[in-house]
Amino acid sequence: MATNHNQNIESVNPAKRVLLLVALTLVFLANVSAQNLRDVTAMSVEDLMNVQVTSVSKRSQKLADAAAAIFVITQEDIRRSGARSIPEALRMVPGLQVARIDENKWAISSRGFNGRFANKLLVLIDGRSVYTPLFSGVYWNIQDVMLEDVDRIEVIRGPGATLWGANAVNGVINIITKSAKSTQSALATAGGGTETRGSAGVRYGGMLNKGTYYRAYAKYFNVGPSTDPSTGRRADDKWDAVRGGFRTDWTPAGADSLTVQGDMHRSGYGETLTIPLLDAPYSSTFPNKGSISGGNLLGRWNHAFANSSTSLQMYYDRTNITENSLFTDHQDIFDIDFQHTFHASESQEVVWGLGYRSSHDGNNSSSVVSLQPNKLTLNQFSAFAQDEISLFDKRLRVTLGSKFEHNGFTGFEVQPNARLLWTVTRNQSVWTAVSRAVRTPALTEEGLRLNSAVIPPGIPQNPTPFPTVISVFGSRQFKSEDLLAYEAGYRVQMTSNFSTDIAVFYNHYTHLRTAEPGAPFLEVSPTPVHVVVPFVAGNKMSGGTYGTELFADWRVLPKWRLLSSYSYLQMDIRKDKGSLDPTADDPGLVSPRHQFYVRSSFDLPKHFEYDADVRYTDRLAGLNIPSYYSVDTRLGWRPTAGVELSVGSQNLLNKRHLEFVPDFINTSPTEVKRSFYGSVTWRFE
Amino acid sequence: MLPGDLSELSVYLLAQSNDSFHAGKATMRRLRLLITIALAILPSVGFEAHAQDSSVSSEYLIKAGFIYNFANLVQWPSSAFAQPDSPIVLGIFGEDPFGSVLDRVLEGKKVNGRAFLVKRLRSAPDLKECHIVFVSSSELAHLAEAIHLVKGMPVLTIGEIPGFAKRGGIINLVLEDNKVHFEVNVEAAKEADLNISSRLLALARIVQEPAADGRKTE
Repeated sequence: MATNHNQNIESVNPAKRVLLLVALTLVFLANVSAQNLRDVTAMSVEDLMNVQVTSVSKRSQKLADAAAAIFVITQEDIRRSGARSIPEALRMVPGLQVARIDENKWAISSRGFNGRFANKLLVLIDGRSVYTPLFSGVYWNIQDVMLEDVDRIEVIRGPGATLWGANAVNGVINIITKSAKSTQSALATAGGGTETRGSAGVRYGGMLNKGTYYRAYAKYFNVGPSTDPSTGRRADDKWDAVRGGFRTDWTPAGADSLTVQGDMHRSGYGETLTIPLLDAPYSSTFPNKGSISGGNLLGRWNHAFANSSTSLQMYYDRTNITENSLFTDHQDIFDIDFQHTFHASESQEVVWGLGYRSSHDGNNSSSVVSLQPNKLTLNQFSAFAQDEISLFDKRLRVTLGSKFEHNGFTGFEVQPNARLLWTVTRNQSVWTAVSRAVRTPALTEEGLRLNSAVIPPGIPQNPTPFPTVISVFGSRQFKSEDLLAYEAGYRVQMTSNFSTDIAVFYNHYTHLRTAEPGAPFLEVSPTPVHVVVPFVAGNKMSGGTYGTELFADWRVLPKWRLLSSYSYLQMDIRKDKGSLDPTADDPGLVSPRHQFYVRSSFDLPKHFEYDADVRYTDRLAGLNIPSYYSVDTRLGWRPTAGVELSVGSQNLLNKRHLEFVPDFINTSPTEVKRSFYGSVTWRFE
Repeated sequence: MLPGDLSELSVYLLAQSNDSFHAGKATMRRLRLLITIALAILPSVGFEAHAQDSSVSSEYLIKAGFIYNFANLVQWPSSAFAQPDSPIVLGIFGEDPFGSVLDRVLEGKKVNGRAFLVKRLRSAPDLKECHIVFVSSSELAHLAEAIHLVKGMPVLTIGEIPGFAKRGGIINLVLEDNKVHFEVNVEAAKEADLNISSRLLALARIVQEPAADGRKTE
């Protein structure tokens, strides 16, 4: 207890110091920033065309149009942050909780409810939804792209259900890669370090004929094991993955464009797994292995009419998961979406669409995990319509819309929203929104049986002569979780160098998932005879969460940029009166109340770059994880236009720290170590 | 059910091990933090002197550079100016994305003995008073109107809207891979009696208005 108390006290002081130091430096440098402007009139058109531009205002211009809490990670942000995976890149987003469980497992959520199987965040890669129907969440260790080919990652905090549908409850992450036309060169990258032992990637882009561009890529990485906090020794969480894919963009005539893209991937990972046993010693902990493979193929056809545009998208996605000792599963997903945008009048833009999604699941059980039925096909139909009305010379924009969805578990779901954007002046806007979103049941919540633990016979907790199995069961009575969200925000571009935005929200949830105890029963198979204490999925928790997210982007000098964000989250979720769930604590205790992030990016002479970021995450009392600071640094050098060298470190501040612990599946969490890396990237025109 | 709920057992087991790693490191942590912050800020010292050759620059600073160059490489008919030293009037139509950058870049600069006069335009008819009009992306809805208004007049229209040149604008700035490129509608320039230097055209992407519906909007 004493150590916990100490943690609290010291977590405040450094935070204040950081802020003070940063503020002082900013004030000092703000004075010199004004006179510094490069003389672009001395440059020729050729020179100007070769300058890489980044823009504060570009981001905010796009943002200025959205009545939602949007954050955009640009390619430049990814490059300068030194992020080597999508989860690492997401760490810079205000209001997102990103935690690493072990080298190959992540817990990522927006506005609370984090966990390995977090289920309120929808993630799309180039329009393809990558959430798994197994647990309505994301296997983060499958989701990867050639990071150099990412155009941007758009993150919407708050519900996006009207446009994106069920499960876009607390947020939507849109990973968007560049067009094939924008990647018309050869690129090779290689790196290595103390955490990612080795990585390599190649991409080649070319033109087939006028108007037809393509690219193909392949990448590989190998991540070494981390440290097991319970033993202090090397953990078993190695990870390696290989992936390849292509994209073709075809623009036959001005009005049409056709995109075909696909990927294939295969990865193997390790973990330390604990499974319950019916015989002494009643549990077994051992190094375990798993593998995931799969692929996808997507086609999209856009057509522009004089006053409207249509988009038709289809994809197929297959994922094979082999979790040794636990579960094997095959998912086949087919999805088709049609969308039509048109101007109903000078001031009204209407978007409507139809969608169909079929997912087929096939699985094999183990003594620990089983999912019934073993084969299941789910069909989902959806339609949406949204009208954006501009009033008062476009100063006020009203957006009204709703999604209508039918799924095999809960039938019809209606998810409406109303949004208001007021452009106060040309560089300030205020928005507010009210929306409803639902999180539809996952396969596991309907048909799972998971044996979590065995209580040995004859000990005080188990007076029976039989071993007692604690099991989690899904239920066909499990309903959708509901959210009613109220949000507001304000954005301002104060000068051409400084922009800031703030979002506040209040979310009210009902029918959140609980684990309700059922009547214990005797089971004779498998032997020995044992008592089963079931915990069945129920919908008996509700309550509110509120919070705020602040973000500021300041180009202090033409060569120095500071990004900073702060987020606050308060969760007030309680079990309903009728709930008998003995385990559910306050989910607020597994979400950090305070988080902040500051990144400083310098352009140094001789084409050097220096980046450093500081991240603070508040303690997770429910998981007994203290608050931590994490500092990453990167030094980059671009001796010529086509070569980039960088060296960096991650988690420089402490030797190692724990960020999260897993839920449901009892794997050992591992610590994030201090690590160093180096990489080189070549571009050939 | 919450994260951690059903693995409470494992959480409990872990709880004992966590504390020991982080306790008693307060001073070290603080020190390291300060050192790192210092490292982060250090490179700014003595940094002013090298401000001239940045590889990364603000988008609108570079676009201002393009506008200056366009003014240099486009010839207006002599009738467009009242006197040989009349300023080149540059109007910004719609929301101004430049802030003060354009004014600062063009301040004191001259092209063929003409200074620049930067104006923020309040209404569409003001377009006619300009030699160069920058059409902001906020004016997407009034694009056809703006282009129509100055049609046939010696006004160099510059936009940054996809399809701007195709729809009758003269120069469109396009951002590709974080670099600024530009499209030129040669027909529209001819109609405006503007002579664009071949040096500029060599670097441009030439676009044409679709024959079928190019005039339909007008």
